[in-house]
Amino acid sequence: MNSLRLRPSKVPAVLTAVVLGSLLFAGSARAQSVSLPEASREQLDNGVVLLVNEKHEVPLVGIELVLRGGGVRDAEGKAGTASLYAGLLERGAGARDAAAFAEAIESVGGRLSASAERERIRISAEFLARDFPLALELLHDMLSAPTLAETEFDTLRERQSNFILAAKDSDPGALMPTYAAGFLFAGHAYGYPLAGSENSLGSISHADVLDYHANEVGGDRLIVSVSGNIDTEEVLAQLRQAFGDLAPAGRELVELPEPARAVGQRVLLIDKPDATQTYFWIGSLGVAIDYPERPALDIANTLFGGRFTSMLNTALRVESGLTYGARSVLIRPSKTGSLGISSYTRTDASVEAIDMALGVLRKLRSEGIDDDMLRSAQNYLLGDFPTRFETARQLARQFAMLEFYGLDGTTYIDAYADALRAVTTESVARVVASVYPAEDELVFVILGDAAAIREDMSRYGPLQELSITDPVFTTFATVE
Amino acid sequence: MSLYSELRRRNVLKVASLYVLAGLLIVWLTWVARTQLGLPPWAEEFAVVLLLVGFPVAIIFAWVYEITPSGLKKAIEVDQTQSIVFKTGQKLNAALIVTVGLAVVAMVADQLLPDLAVPPPPEPPAEPTVADVADAALGGDVPGEIVSFTLGNGLRVIVWPDNDIPNVAMYNFVRAGGRNEYPGITGLSHFFEHMMFNGTSRLEPGEFDRIMEANGGANNAYTSSDVTVYQDWFPRSALEVIFGLESDRFANLAFDDDVIESERGVVQSERRSRVDNDNTGRLFEQMFASAFIAHPYQFPVIGWPSDIAAWTKDDLETFYRRYYAPNNCTLIVVGDVTAAEIYQLTQNYFGPIPPQDPPAPVRTVEPPQTGERRFVIETEAQTPLLHIAFHAGSAADPDTLPLELLLNVLAEGDSSRLHQRLVERESLAISIGSYQQRGFDPGLIYFYMTLTPETDPASAEAVFFEELAAIVADGVSDAELRKAKNILLADHWRNLATIDGKAEALGEHEVFAGGYESLFERPGSVEALSVDALREAAARVFRRGNATIGVLRSPASEDES
Repeated sequence: MNSLRLRPSKVPAVLTAVVLGSLLFAGSARAQSVSLPEASREQLDNGVVLLVNEKHEVPLVGIELVLRGGGVRDAEGKAGTASLYAGLLERGAGARDAAAFAEAIESVGGRLSASAERERIRISAEFLARDFPLALELLHDMLSAPTLAETEFDTLRERQSNFILAAKDSDPGALMPTYAAGFLFAGHAYGYPLAGSENSLGSISHADVLDYHANEVGGDRLIVSVSGNIDTEEVLAQLRQAFGDLAPAGRELVELPEPARAVGQRVLLIDKPDATQTYFWIGSLGVAIDYPERPALDIANTLFGGRFTSMLNTALRVESGLTYGARSVLIRPSKTGSLGISSYTRTDASVEAIDMALGVLRKLRSEGIDDDMLRSAQNYLLGDFPTRFETARQLARQFAMLEFYGLDGTTYIDAYADALRAVTTESVARVVASVYPAEDELVFVILGDAAAIREDMSRYGPLQELSITDPVFTTFATVE
Repeated sequence: MSLYSELRRRNVLKVASLYVLAGLLIVWLTWVARTQLGLPPWAEEFAVVLLLVGFPVAIIFAWVYEITPSGLKKAIEVDQTQSIVFKTGQKLNAALIVTVGLAVVAMVADQLLPDLAVPPPPEPPAEPTVADVADAALGGDVPGEIVSFTLGNGLRVIVWPDNDIPNVAMYNFVRAGGRNEYPGITGLSHFFEHMMFNGTSRLEPGEFDRIMEANGGANNAYTSSDVTVYQDWFPRSALEVIFGLESDRFANLAFDDDVIESERGVVQSERRSRVDNDNTGRLFEQMFASAFIAHPYQFPVIGWPSDIAAWTKDDLETFYRRYYAPNNCTLIVVGDVTAAEIYQLTQNYFGPIPPQDPPAPVRTVEPPQTGERRFVIETEAQTPLLHIAFHAGSAADPDTLPLELLLNVLAEGDSSRLHQRLVERESLAISIGSYQQRGFDPGLIYFYMTLTPETDPASAEAVFFEELAAIVADGVSDAELRKAKNILLADHWRNLATIDGKAEALGEHEVFAGGYESLFERPGSVEALSVDALREAAARVFRRGNATIGVLRSPASEDES
């Protein structure tokens, strides 16, 4: 770290080295704290939570609707129900059929999309502020009077199935998280394929979607967050009017069980005979959103696989040229989520790349991190932090997510910068030891030319196999 | 008597300290002289070498000789009872204090003076709010706080101060892309983009990213057929570090054989992901190779596999000299900065990089297409693909804006004509999208469709051409024109909502549309377009004889009849 040979300041390098010491950390990101702006919060009698924030820089308004529930509420064998329901919300509501609905949004240059996530349905919109009344009318109609037409259901269900086929042809890497979650969570709702599989989509009926609307959608599940060039009192009044009479959902939202501790050293091999590269995901259970040592964990994962100079990307890409990219991703939902290492490499280098990734994990666990790494990761996370709160749309989403998880913005956002600065190498070591798995806890998901790699992959554990053309993502029949 | 105490007695340590301090001061003064007075870039290196050579001489001199009232004598010849080394030591102390004082004065002056020494560009009046900026943009006025200038070496710089967040977005547009390549070096521009992160004569491979991230910055880069663009996003506190890093790789890039081989592997992996294992990517590549028969837009930006495997260090060095010259680049800085400080930083860091002869122009002009072209890729595919492209103009062509509006009507969003017809009403496709090439030379208008597994590409193609024929014959409705304009206007605002979006939009307009000012003329130009302008543009471009049609499908199996 002190072999800096670059001129980072007006002062020439020789002077820098002697007089000022290492300038590697010239900036130390002093001013990078974020104070979340004020948002007005109001809970209506039917349970709807309203969040409104004024942001006047540009004449746009961002709107985020969050409905608790989502993919985890899909019935067994019917994964994809919430996703189809969300898709249908865009295909006709109130007096508008699907075409008129799309026309209404696009004719004013607006954007609006509804999608199912694991634990919620999200409707995300951005309009010119002058079109807020139209946006609100559309959103109201979606929740209170969606058409949910059977013909639209048939069309959407078939299209969603074809999208899976298209991804298998053109972007198999994009399906890896779906295969991985199914294999890791082994029957828990976190493992359901969110958009369904060809099989599960086939078993969902129009009645299932109507049932979802009646029982999984209601005021008691709804958060509405608005940020932009608007007037708070005016918008609050409009929101009360639009969502105040939404009835509660028919079913109670029961708490999810914790995922069972995963059995490690298992391999799921997905055969794609024409593949010239092998995609791999190596992972284990991780942590939940309320993990108490979030700053230390963010630093650990930034260093391990969360940025370009991470340990994983340095080993697999920068130093060996085995891949275009390698990373580690933490998914932190309400209950225990996942930690996964993912990358891809040419078929004949599959073992070399996987072993190298395992070696990097061993190194993290045995050697931990040093002071320079810690400071680098702190600066990196602080440097990027303000850019996540730049637009009205980002703010609307931040407020909605804090509400969804019951998090306090003062501690979760405002105090985050100081909490990051307070992390020590010891606290990172503690977090690494408790979150980053030993090798016998790891499960492996491998997609590639099975004939070429099957034998090699069996060294990581007993194999289960699927073909890329199989209409399912897991080997557990009940889920799909 | 120990060596140490004798070193002290003979004032050798004081002489050494004084020498180091005075030396540092000299190096600093040389640096100031270089940056302010235009001394050659090696000036302070030269001073350092001279000082290093002189150091042992001075130490030996101090050890061997001693100042006495009767002049300089060898120390061992001086009677120690008569020695005045203590007095000499006091003088040296005084000299040390004076030198330190001078250094402090100089350092303080450094913070204050350069801004005076080099006349800064005119500082804009008061900092307007972003809302003012937005209003100005709508009215077609160029926001007053934007400042542009060109350095003596030809580097063009545009600065848009915006202190909404304490961050900065910096884009460097290099005029080098696939169009500057030829058989044997296809993909070199893109490979070069990778090499720009792999070490200089001053920084080891990997240090660029390590220093950038350690200071809170992040970066990326992309290569197109026309340009290679380097992007940095960082906290304001890292401003000078980033300028140091960026200018270093533009002046001192290293070409290490092992690094080149390793990066070749990375690019081969990228190609496998983006093209070879991606049916859409494969068809896209073949489309450009088929639609262009003469112009270098026919080459894939990532390069043909045989060229990726074969290009040499010489190719890279030649390319670097030719294209990575300040007079071939445009630098955009948006965020929590002032125009004056960016002027100073670009002078200090990029100013010393010498210009090069401008690259040779791309001479080849694609001859007019005189009939429909077709090609087929047969490969395992559960969903067939249909891509159709038409030759159109360059970014600066007057038809480019009406065609952009036409694409909004035809293929943007669920309410667009082609989506409604192909996806919703006839279920022939599961998705359709469009892309307009806006480069230096005439490019393509590109439609890509993913078909349902049972769709015959020929039937989707027939419907597609029916829709285009309708546009050519009847044009678009007033409501469709209004919608297309609104989409464009809202996108304009979204771009201006972030410092990153502003930097990219400024750069695109500066490089491709004749000047960054044209970004702010865009809403007005859009409003001025009529239904007729769109129909005329459609008639010129959407002709069958101007189309290339590409299909990707599974090989026809014999038991499938």
